[in-house]
Amino acid sequence: MAAETCIMGLFKDDGTAARAILDLEGSGFAFRRAHSPVPSHKILDALKLKKGRVGWFTLAGGILGFFSGFALAIFTSTRWDLIVSGKPIISLIPFFIVGFEFTILFSVLGNVIGLLTCCRLPDYKGLEVYDPRCSGEHFGVLAACESSRRGELMNFFEKKGGEVRIFE
Amino acid sequence: MTDLTYAQIDQTVLNTLERPRPRYWVFVALLLCGVLIGAGCWSYQIFTGIGVGGQNIPVAWGTYLINFVFWVGIAHSGTLISAILHLFRAGWRNPIARAAETMTVFAVCCAGLFPFIHLGRVWQVYYMLPIPNQRLLWPNFLSPLMFDVVAISTYLTVSSLFWYTGLLPDIAIVRDRSTGLRHKIFRVLSLGWTGSHRQWLNYSRGYLFFAALATPLVISVHSVVSWDFALAIVPGWHTTIFAPYFVAGAIHSGLAMVLTLMIPLRRIFHYENIITMKVFDNVAKTIVLTGLIVGLAYGTELFIAWYSHNPVEIESFRWRLFGDYAYGFVFMAVCNTTIPMLFLFKRFRGSIAWLFGISLVVNFGMWWERFVIIIGGVAHDYPPHSWGLYAPTVIEYGVMLGSFSLFFFFFLLFCKHMPSVSMTEMKETVNHGG
Repeated sequence: MAAETCIMGLFKDDGTAARAILDLEGSGFAFRRAHSPVPSHKILDALKLKKGRVGWFTLAGGILGFFSGFALAIFTSTRWDLIVSGKPIISLIPFFIVGFEFTILFSVLGNVIGLLTCCRLPDYKGLEVYDPRCSGEHFGVLAACESSRRGELMNFFEKKGGEVRIFE
Repeated sequence: MTDLTYAQIDQTVLNTLERPRPRYWVFVALLLCGVLIGAGCWSYQIFTGIGVGGQNIPVAWGTYLINFVFWVGIAHSGTLISAILHLFRAGWRNPIARAAETMTVFAVCCAGLFPFIHLGRVWQVYYMLPIPNQRLLWPNFLSPLMFDVVAISTYLTVSSLFWYTGLLPDIAIVRDRSTGLRHKIFRVLSLGWTGSHRQWLNYSRGYLFFAALATPLVISVHSVVSWDFALAIVPGWHTTIFAPYFVAGAIHSGLAMVLTLMIPLRRIFHYENIITMKVFDNVAKTIVLTGLIVGLAYGTELFIAWYSHNPVEIESFRWRLFGDYAYGFVFMAVCNTTIPMLFLFKRFRGSIAWLFGISLVVNFGMWWERFVIIIGGVAHDYPPHSWGLYAPTVIEYGVMLGSFSLFFFFFLLFCKHMPSVSMTEMKETVNHGG
């Protein structure tokens, strides 16, 4: 298999980066990643991506939390079933508060797990093929090609108005 | 705001992380002294007993509970600004969102200390956790105090995670522009964030869910705090208005604290191009709104006491207006509802001195509101033979000084070591022409 080279085109705005991504299709070069300092709808639209899956983790956490909160409150009440102030041992209205707080807590924990999973974090290896300018004011498009076509890919990015960085 | 480039935003914020001057460390040291005084007073109380505080029958809840409610309230506007205004796409909140979120986290930390301090026998704190004690008894979730434990711990966890998630792209910016030890620390903290399309796609969704979950949480937490009082059959406490009244008051005090913190921050860090007067103008307008809601709540309480024809309720509110702590009622009414109305006039909203001065007045008034509610209720309840007065002791003043010092100590450390303005959100504002 021929050796592969990764080249990043660095653009001043997301519109140009998005056009470069669109033109990469059918050019024979393999798109790898896009990096940007802010979330860019233009780039995401160019990539035609579906919505992230974080929401499913959040939902699962929420459902788990709702039932855990109620279960905890009911379980602890039944451990000492003494009627206080005429309230039933299992009082759903006050227990709703515990259920609600647990719903939010577990949803957020699910959300964080979802974020880490879907964003694939922590990922310190990703920093090896990354240009620090992408957190500042540049929009990076990373593409790969066979080493023999390296010049072509560089020309491609330069024609689109980008600066070029090569990752060996 | 739209005049700034991405590079200028980065540079302005990163300049604040340069090596601090000796004056900064003097302030930090002074605040640390305040923290140590507070810690010393608390330690003295632990070794001597809760009796060194001024709480006694009938006023068993003193400044410890006042400060607890005060700090929880301060925390609330941070979430309002970062979550609720985010959902409403209010771009003006972007320059102050980070500082407000930070304020939330540190204020909840300060608030969370007070139940521990108030416990007296702090080593028995595990009674509040959902674990059985030595007699195999579990906490009772019918008690509003247990609602509070669940709500406050949830709020601390959620606000801390929300804050850190928001910081992640900015930590990566600092990582990419630093060297040496700072680079190593920020590299670890950034979790390897690179701003890739996959990360942004999921991050935007996740952040939106965070905001959507934090919004009902913030309303529920202060409602739960209000039920610590409202579920007790004490005149002045036992009312259904307490939940919205407390939530509005919390946001009112928190917005004032945002101004108190952001005005010096803007000047010291030269944030004039980022935190524009328009931002303060909008905060001041929101303070007018919350001030009116709080004023309506004060009026409604008095009206309902009169309209109820309940002699105990009428006496409780008569005493609130004309009794031993009438000065407290005057402070809260004037400072929280009358003086903030000056913000109706552009002249006051456009003056840094007035903005800062009125924010301090509202903070003062909101502390007194909690004094009036908490002390006033139990000091003058049903039978006259159980009436009594309360005054804080030196130990309580020491603990209070400690809590305020701790809050500003944390905030000062944060401002000089982490980005105090969200560079990413500012860039988004520029990107959207906000």
